[in-house]
Amino acid sequence: MSPHRLPPAPGERIDRTRTLAFTLDGTPLEGLGGDTVGSAMAAAGITITGRSFKYHRPRGLMCAAGACANCLVTVDGVPNVRACTAPLRAGMRVRRQNAWPSAERDAGAVFDRLSFAMPAGFYYKVGQHPRFLWPLAEPLVRRVAGLGPPPSAPALDAEKVHLHPDVLVVGGGPAGLAAAAEAARAGARTMLVEQAADLGDGLAGGGAEVEDLAREAVAARAEILTSTAVFGAFEGPLLAAAGPGRLLGIRSAQTVFATGAIEQPAVFPNNDLPGVMLCGAVGRLLRHRVLPGRRAVVWTSDARGYAAAAALLEAGAAVTVVDGRPVVLGPEAEAARAAGARLVAGATVRRAIGRRRVEAVEVGTGGGAPPQRLACDLLVIAGFRMPSTSLLAQAGARLRHDPGAGWFLAAELPPGMHQAGDVTGLRTLEAAVAQGRLAGLAAAAAALVDAGSGDASRRAELEAAASGRPLSSPPPPPLGAGEGKQFACLCMDVTDKEMRQAIAEGFDSIELLKRYTTLSMGPCQSKACMWSSIRLCALMTGRTEAQTGTPTARPPWSPVPLGILAAGRPHPRKETALHDRHADAGAEFMWAGDWRRPHHYAAPADECAAVHERVAVIDVSTLGKLRVRGRQAVELLERLYPNRFGDMRVGQIRYGLMLKDDGVILDDGTVCRLGEDEFFVTTTSGGTEAIEQWMEWWLADWNLDVRVLNVSAAYAAINIAGPRSRSLMERICDLDVSARGLPYLRTARGRVAGVESLILRIGFVGELGYEIHIPSACAEHLWDRVMEAGADLGIVPFGVEAQRILRLEKQHILVGQDTDALSDPYGAAMTWIVKLDKPDFLGRRMLLELAERGPQERLVGFVVEDSGTVPPEGAAVVEGERPVGRVTSSRYSAVAGAAIGLAWVPVASAEEGRVLELGFDGRRARARVALRPFVDPEGARVRS
Amino acid sequence: MTFLIPCPDCGPREVTEFSFGGESGRRPGPDEPVAALARYLYVRRNVSGEQEEWWFHRDGCRAWLVARRDTRSNRISSAVRPVERTPAAP
Repeated sequence: MSPHRLPPAPGERIDRTRTLAFTLDGTPLEGLGGDTVGSAMAAAGITITGRSFKYHRPRGLMCAAGACANCLVTVDGVPNVRACTAPLRAGMRVRRQNAWPSAERDAGAVFDRLSFAMPAGFYYKVGQHPRFLWPLAEPLVRRVAGLGPPPSAPALDAEKVHLHPDVLVVGGGPAGLAAAAEAARAGARTMLVEQAADLGDGLAGGGAEVEDLAREAVAARAEILTSTAVFGAFEGPLLAAAGPGRLLGIRSAQTVFATGAIEQPAVFPNNDLPGVMLCGAVGRLLRHRVLPGRRAVVWTSDARGYAAAAALLEAGAAVTVVDGRPVVLGPEAEAARAAGARLVAGATVRRAIGRRRVEAVEVGTGGGAPPQRLACDLLVIAGFRMPSTSLLAQAGARLRHDPGAGWFLAAELPPGMHQAGDVTGLRTLEAAVAQGRLAGLAAAAAALVDAGSGDASRRAELEAAASGRPLSSPPPPPLGAGEGKQFACLCMDVTDKEMRQAIAEGFDSIELLKRYTTLSMGPCQSKACMWSSIRLCALMTGRTEAQTGTPTARPPWSPVPLGILAAGRPHPRKETALHDRHADAGAEFMWAGDWRRPHHYAAPADECAAVHERVAVIDVSTLGKLRVRGRQAVELLERLYPNRFGDMRVGQIRYGLMLKDDGVILDDGTVCRLGEDEFFVTTTSGGTEAIEQWMEWWLADWNLDVRVLNVSAAYAAINIAGPRSRSLMERICDLDVSARGLPYLRTARGRVAGVESLILRIGFVGELGYEIHIPSACAEHLWDRVMEAGADLGIVPFGVEAQRILRLEKQHILVGQDTDALSDPYGAAMTWIVKLDKPDFLGRRMLLELAERGPQERLVGFVVEDSGTVPPEGAAVVEGERPVGRVTSSRYSAVAGAAIGLAWVPVASAEEGRVLELGFDGRRARARVALRPFVDPEGARVRS
Repeated sequence: MTFLIPCPDCGPREVTEFSFGGESGRRPGPDEPVAALARYLYVRRNVSGEQEEWWFHRDGCRAWLVARRDTRSNRISSAVRPVERTPAAP
């Protein structure tokens, strides 16, 4: 057993039967079940939990409540974990941060002596002049400053949850539990969230009361979530909370803020030394049966400090109480004295002394007397507890300085919000519970239509108990005296001196002071420095605290891992029904939007050759597939497309180009007429969702009798192409697939490989081809059958790369690749599609205008003269030194024997054979305009 | 922007489930001057107050709806199926 571990006591939070082994910076250590990482470190005698942000000063446990940022460690690669609240698990690898070679002996501590070189506004001054030095300085600054390294492991797999309780209670102390119990008993669906793992954790004593209240709340069916921190209040109001592995968005009809109060450190020289602790930390460590020090000085002005002194005495420590009040009376003081505590009245701690932990304190008694030096290894500060109003302020409450409470309190609450407990100014336990009950009753009454107003006499009783002024005790002086740095902000290493300097430079409002010095901008988010920084700013500017005000409260109030914030936004990854077949065939996959598609299986040139010479098959399941049905289906399509559809016969296919009202090309695909009132429309792979939404939008606006059904996922599709594709189709399809039976641009329903399918004769890749749409469940069956039946015909699968080469040989455009937000059908040389004589369609009015003006640019094919050069997509078309156009697609084509492509060029250059000069990578290449496809310009092969 | 939209099909849902379709406008007829088309395409009223808007319930019923939203408070006073909407004031 560790020498720092105390003998068993009732109510202890550890399980002595379970020993948990873990490592700290590689050194094996042991803790007990129920330990936090911090309590286990303390039990092992570790006082330095890490090094500070800027000056690399040793830091130790201070609040032990997750409020300050002194004990951030890296646990199993996850940085900035609060050791004091993280439960210890067996096998944990804990590393202390921001220290090299070790936290005990850190080379960076030299920065503590170099602080003169790091003035206030460091970020705006140092390394900026001369400018050329900053790139050299920056990596060093980045390496030396800051907190833990980013995790190497992938982001947390967190989920997002939306909750809609009637009443939400924020905070699981006595007031919050009482509010939850009352609201739930009144019939409201009530939820309570508490950031700590244990309810009532912020409490020094009162454990039994908290347990009773928790039992009462659970019995009334309030839902209680612990280890869940509300970190922001947003419009709505929406309260965002982070729990283990999940992000909660909570919208409640009524909200009770019982966020309590936060213990504040005091500012004096070396106030950051390990061994300087807040009162609550002592209680928490003792509950883990760890003695935080053997010779303690407790600095207090109220009963809490005496309670801590008594607990330390009982645990066997020697205790000196330094009390700011000149005359100390009361039972607590008497009890402490009786138990053996030494008492120094009318005194304050002026400074702490020590190198790697506190070794002594200097105590001033005023009146010109020289300071007393008290040797100690623990300084307990039982000072001010700051009402935690930040979330209320975020939610829209107006804060006003309350002289009685000594702090800013929420004076005006937005509708639907209530507050109870210490957040309203420090309260007795009885008053806090009464306030909580009243808030719970009020919230339930407002949330429920049929809630009664409750028992009037009980109400009066509660109101009497809840009334009265907040408690107060004299605060410690704002600054100490003597040698050593006095930290106002421990997270960011901001001292009183830097504040003074910044104010002298003119940054004298609290908001500017904060931004300029980074005061209160660290991971504690001002929980441990708000009070000090406002008090010091007031002191240094000669204003009152009320005049100084508080900086705007902003989320996040508690630090949240980015992985949690990213919850609910998964990056989709889509695989077609044939994905496994592609993987088995050795496909190299690529991203195509959200899709994983085979880029190639073999050399793309060989795949192209197979299409031109034999037969090959490609998975085109990613195509968007929409069924358009209804009495006015023709009407809808006529209005949506510039094409004409009314004259289409059943079984006919037409290429369709979709435009927006500004005449710009939106998407393309095929339109098949399956019946009088039924069409099958395909869209580009990437455009599926948008086109469905687009069609639904116009349908909603025009109110036509048509239904659009997105069947993209229901059907897989393959394209069989090549001169031998008919032979293959004859073997697997029960239809007459001859040139007469199923001519080019015709569609028919038939059985392929025994499965009911839709067969389209289209030729995107420029050879005789059949596109087969089949229920997704049968896709693999079809694929296998096709590969089997085509084996002796020399069938191979081909990927997207080959398809891109093939369509380029045919000069078929890819919308979005060859077109952009300014491309219209005239420029894209698809005038033949536009039927301006139709009464109206999307884009018609603009096309009338454009037809009159004529296009400025045209999309043309080109072939590069030097057969070895393939210009990259995005290469410029240049005239002299002036870019006049751009290459949108380019590939090497074996058929053309050179690189071919598509480019936008000035209309004057859009002539067959015209020489284009292409510029890229500091090079030039010559190309000739080719207005006709490189393969099958007459379309004889696709029609064959 | 975090508010709920009362979808006529699905009930109140997070705004993040919807796609914004912009403020509602009247598409000019085929014979109107091109200036009317330009106004329709490129000019927004940008109202400070209540306006009529298109929303698509992308992660829900996948239907369009027409909502009246106060652009200052994001309060939605009504959300109806397009066929049920009252004609917008001119």
